[in-house]
Amino acid sequence: MDSSITLTVHGMMCASCVAHVEKALNNVAGVKTAQVNLATGKVTASYDNQATGLIEITQAISDVGYEVAKEEITLKVSGMACAACVGKVEKALGSLPGVTDVTVNLSTGNVRLTAYAGAVDIAAVKAAVRDLGFEVLERMDTQSELDREQEAREDEIRRQRRNMWLTWPLGLIAMIGTMRHMWGLDKFIPHFMGNNYFLLAVTSPVIIFGGWQFFVHSWRGLKRGVTDMNLLYATGIGSSYLIAVINTLWPNAGFGGKNATFFEAAALLTAFIVLGRYLEALTRGRTSEAIRKLMSLKPKMARVVRDGGDIEIPADEVEPGDLIIVRPGESIPVDGNVTDGYSAVDESMLTGESIPVEKKEGDTVIGGTINKTGTFRFKATKVGKDTALAQIINLVENAQSSKAPIQKLADLVAGHFIMGVHVLSLIVFFFWFFVGFDLFFSPGGRFLLSTGTLETIGVFGFSMLLSLTVLVISCPCALGLATPSAIMAGSGKGAENGILFKGAEAIETTAKLDTIIFDKTGTLTRGEPSVTDVIPTGAVVAAELLRLAAIAEKNSEHPLGEAIVNGAKEKGLSVEDAKSFNAIPGYGIEAQAEGKALLLGNRRLMESKNVDFGAYVSQVEELERMGKTVMLIAIDNNFAGLIAVADTLKETSVAAIEQLRRMGIEVGMLTGDNQRTAEAIAAQAGIDYVVAEVLPEDKASEIIKLQAQGKKTAMVGDGINDAPALAQADVGIAVGSGTDVAKETGDIILIRGDLRDVVSAVEVARATMNKVKQNLWWAFGYNLLGIPIAAGILYPWTGWLVSPQLAGLFMALSSFSVTMNTLTLKGFVPSFKKKQAIA
Amino acid sequence: MSTESKIAKISAAWYLGISGGLALVFYYVTTLQNFPAVARFGGAVWVFILTIIIAMPVVIPRIKKKYQ
Repeated sequence: MDSSITLTVHGMMCASCVAHVEKALNNVAGVKTAQVNLATGKVTASYDNQATGLIEITQAISDVGYEVAKEEITLKVSGMACAACVGKVEKALGSLPGVTDVTVNLSTGNVRLTAYAGAVDIAAVKAAVRDLGFEVLERMDTQSELDREQEAREDEIRRQRRNMWLTWPLGLIAMIGTMRHMWGLDKFIPHFMGNNYFLLAVTSPVIIFGGWQFFVHSWRGLKRGVTDMNLLYATGIGSSYLIAVINTLWPNAGFGGKNATFFEAAALLTAFIVLGRYLEALTRGRTSEAIRKLMSLKPKMARVVRDGGDIEIPADEVEPGDLIIVRPGESIPVDGNVTDGYSAVDESMLTGESIPVEKKEGDTVIGGTINKTGTFRFKATKVGKDTALAQIINLVENAQSSKAPIQKLADLVAGHFIMGVHVLSLIVFFFWFFVGFDLFFSPGGRFLLSTGTLETIGVFGFSMLLSLTVLVISCPCALGLATPSAIMAGSGKGAENGILFKGAEAIETTAKLDTIIFDKTGTLTRGEPSVTDVIPTGAVVAAELLRLAAIAEKNSEHPLGEAIVNGAKEKGLSVEDAKSFNAIPGYGIEAQAEGKALLLGNRRLMESKNVDFGAYVSQVEELERMGKTVMLIAIDNNFAGLIAVADTLKETSVAAIEQLRRMGIEVGMLTGDNQRTAEAIAAQAGIDYVVAEVLPEDKASEIIKLQAQGKKTAMVGDGINDAPALAQADVGIAVGSGTDVAKETGDIILIRGDLRDVVSAVEVARATMNKVKQNLWWAFGYNLLGIPIAAGILYPWTGWLVSPQLAGLFMALSSFSVTMNTLTLKGFVPSFKKKQAIA
Repeated sequence: MSTESKIAKISAAWYLGISGGLALVFYYVTTLQNFPAVARFGGAVWVFILTIIIAMPVVIPRIKKKYQ
């Protein structure tokens, strides 16, 4: 049987780490797929649970040098009386997949579990305890995933900030000291600051305390045969420091002597790398802000009615069927149906709808939304992982963890990057040592943005510095972050607007769409008929005609009758009960009301009752041509007028289609309805391409025909009825599913039924893919340009050389700029939302 | 001897051998030309370091695969 697990893994720094973890997991027998998201630090593996398990998976990750994050869960259990009970609880909980340690304290009843983060469901833990006959009194403390993630990020920020406080002041002192003999600065800078032993004393703490982390990480990886970004840092920092120490202690060793110590290079290189790590820790978390926002919506407490009173309990203790009270300003803890009370609820955080939605008895409420005005009670229907919010979080997380096809090249390059760079570094060393130095070296040359010359440096020092700079300037981090960080920000931006992308591939394909096909009923139209025309003959006014028709239809269960009754109610007309009512199948109805004999139906009904409506035949035919259903009404056997009913377009459909066409996308419609009605609706919506009278099962073949013409096609429809067509399309867009997102087919789920969200989905996808492309161009371009320059390719002609510290600065800015570029997506607003905001 | 330590030892023999070998070759080639001693020794050490970094991730997984 197939299982899937998502684990949080610490220690992954760059795209090489991603490749290593994926490779390690794919080598585990039984693992079918493994995907790593560097930006979130999440690893998702699907596996055959008969062939392998969590132990093998976590072991494989540990084996390549990374740490699988753990969480601690504390429960209070009552009913344990002796050591045997303790043993039973420990054994039962210890056997749950993902649990690594269980400690039971008999005297306090506290049970503390350590488990792989995300692998254990708290409900399963409680069920296991209850199955043993004990009671779980309360959950004392469970650190949420959000808290853990934030804590880990804050720890990293704190650690790097502390390192910066050490490395930067000392690095700057080292730089000032090294520059003492330049530009006449010796008049201002004390003599001792230029002393190599002073510089050694200043630089050593920078390397030992600030740079130690890179040596430890890279050694840990190397021991297991794994290389990562830390290795580049460690080799760069270590080598430049070593040269400086040798030139200080043994100035005649031939490394350039006492004037070429490069202490500032070692110190500033470390400082820049630490700065890069700090900026990365600061910004990386911000790309996942959307999911963080969604997670923070999870209410902590619920006020539940128990034994006649109301008590506050943790929201995840609520069970289906519980009655919950929500007061103004409070969050709704779980999903449910309002039983009494009235209020307006702000659902914008989940649906993107900015106007609060009114809630009354019978309406559904969504957990995580905020009650604005009144107090109401509701019955819980969905709790825990079944709530809409949990499903949305799950969907967005999965999308963020998935990989876009465009990432494949970056992954391929990044997987071999570190080793490739070391090989290149070796080649560069050989070239400059055996060939380049003799041919091109000029003693007057200097590093870019530096005043010191290289006159005292020898063949080994020169070759090694260039070889070293190649290691330092190269940056696989930018490559690794380019796509996932943008996908993460893009899927988050979608979720903010009620658009749920099911994966990175959906975003990539949506950005390429050139054709969008809409289903008619319920997608372009409201899906329920409504009154469009009321035409009286003059014997009665329009409102009276509608009122009488509604009275006649009040007891009818026919959808057209319901449309007339609703139409009358919407106009504020009072609809009394008819005295008598009789349905005439295939014709219409007859009723008695207010002393009048009412007839309501089609032409055949009028003809059978000898009612003359000849003067209105042309009007009837005109309305029918427009795709409307016309009902004729007679009062006391005299023709009184006609009422037309039709399934009308949603208010937003025309604007959405107009905008899609403006964006260069062809728009079409597929419907099972007759040609005349279909054409009428298409004309109103501004759609040229219409295929009518298509059975639901044939819709998929219509999509295939379009795809055969080379069109990237999306199908927009009901996620359940149009499932085959949604699945066939390059992108299936399920509209108006409300919040039951889990059961939907489709690559994109729109929570609301507003077709403008289709436009927004395309806009978000295009903006996201633009960012991905910009990031990839930058990351590839930076490395393709930076590495050859660092290798000294321009030196023979221009004399330009990049110093290790300058290379360190470039490298730090490279991945930072990718993340910063991605963060500009945060300011992206879909065009319709922008218009709404202006209005 | 556990499998783990056996793998570690065999791997070490391989990557140290490869790196040491290449460093020696480098040293030998430098003796054929007029390089200062520091350049010869320093260069050999640098070649050894870079080669060991390249060799370890190649050798260890292969040995692991062979013996596990």
